Amino acid sequence: MLKTKRTIIFGLLLFLAVSLNAQQSRVTAAYTFLQQGKLDSAKATIDVAILHPETQSDGQAWYVRGFIYKTIYNQSEKSNKQSSSRIEGLISFKKSLTIDTTQENVTENIKNIKYLATTLYNDAAASLDTIDYKIAVNNFDIFREYYLLVDPSAENFKQKEIDFANAMATVYTRIYEADRNGKTDFLNYAKASYNKALSFDPNNINANYNMGILYYNQAVNLINQSDYDLDIVALNDVQDNSINLFKQSLPFMEKAYALDPNKKETLLGLSGIYFSLNEKEKSNEFKQKLEQIGK
Amino acid sequence: MHSSKKYGLQFDLCIEKVMKKLLFIFVSVMILSSWMVVLPDQSEEANAKIKTIYIYNFTKYIEWPASYKEGNFVVGVLGTNTPLVTELNKMASSKTVGTQKFEIKSVSTPADCAKCHIVYILSDNSSQLNGVLGKLKGKSALIVTDKSGLATKGSGINFFVDGNKQKIELNRSNIEKYKLKVASTLVDMAVQVK
Repeated sequence: MLKTKRTIIFGLLLFLAVSLNAQQSRVTAAYTFLQQGKLDSAKATIDVAILHPETQSDGQAWYVRGFIYKTIYNQSEKSNKQSSSRIEGLISFKKSLTIDTTQENVTENIKNIKYLATTLYNDAAASLDTIDYKIAVNNFDIFREYYLLVDPSAENFKQKEIDFANAMATVYTRIYEADRNGKTDFLNYAKASYNKALSFDPNNINANYNMGILYYNQAVNLINQSDYDLDIVALNDVQDNSINLFKQSLPFMEKAYALDPNKKETLLGLSGIYFSLNEKEKSNEFKQKLEQIGK
Repeated sequence: MHSSKKYGLQFDLCIEKVMKKLLFIFVSVMILSSWMVVLPDQSEEANAKIKTIYIYNFTKYIEWPASYKEGNFVVGVLGTNTPLVTELNKMASSKTVGTQKFEIKSVSTPADCAKCHIVYILSDNSSQLNGVLGKLKGKSALIVTDKSGLATKGSGINFFVDGNKQKIELNRSNIEKYKLKVASTLVDMAVQVK
């Protein structure tokens, strides 16, 4: 009886040892497939390994997985702005980073995360148009998440946020301008994006000027779209609403002017706002400044 | 604990670091160039639209004598305001006064106003009000002005600004003296001046 029990325990230990070894062998095999350029086999093998309890907490296994997915991305998905392999690579390097804290692994994981995150940033920028803008937003969000994970005090990151928010606002504005009646949501998205840029830098000239223009053009559009049949009472309401929008435009445009008094577009905008608020003297002041600059 | 060296999977730092820097610079340029400078819409046009809507409303609430209901309905603008004339012409292309078509005329002297149903004297030409009044004696025309106080000096309707808003003041007797009938609705919507 005792002999049987000993045999069972020995058998179990042997099974565990073999099993553990088998999982490590899977990682090694995946690496070998990678070296041989058999990326499908490498992927299939490492995906099994990281699911097994023995290796699912092995930082090295996750590192190898990250490398395999990064290689797949580099070799066959580089033109795909929504590459899933790139995301899997990032997930794997991040997991490895949290499990294996030896200096060498940390350094390698950080380098790889920075590399893949940078490609996301590039693809976000390349998607800044009226068709792929959602890809741009998504890629920039992932870029931010991973880049700040490995470099929380990244130099100039704030500037990247400002530039991206301004660029997105421009895209939203383009969509709105193409269909002012049908795409009114995009006007709000544009305002939200400029507000985001301003939350990082209240003195950003571009965001201040364009925010002012959004309100300004909205006010002008409100009047220009009115029907000639509008009765005087309804016309008064339209005027009230447009005046309110011109007044919202004013502080942004004045800020843009304070930051750069020689920008022609700002002078034109201020002249227009005051003209629309029926403050003709102030409107003429800015008109004259504009003419002086033009000379 | 294994290290990344075990599998020889080390990042090619030199090449990719340089590449990354170049990409960041390139992409930053791309993002910056995707900004655009949006120019303000024309505020003069919006102001012209407001005044045009008012003028079209005047034709709905004021009645001209039967002898004035033939031919074109002539609106004369005394002075120069291109956005206003453009806007009035836009309105004229789609609206009528009863069966009468609109005709928008830019006029430069009071003598040119004699055949107008509405004469709009722009603020810069306000000094010509008396001349216009003289030329329109015995006629049926609505005189519209654009300068404070002119509703007490002969014009029927005067545009003025109150709280940033374009409003009208109306002198009923100045309108009726030209044999025009003004609806009480319009009187109620205007600031009355005597």
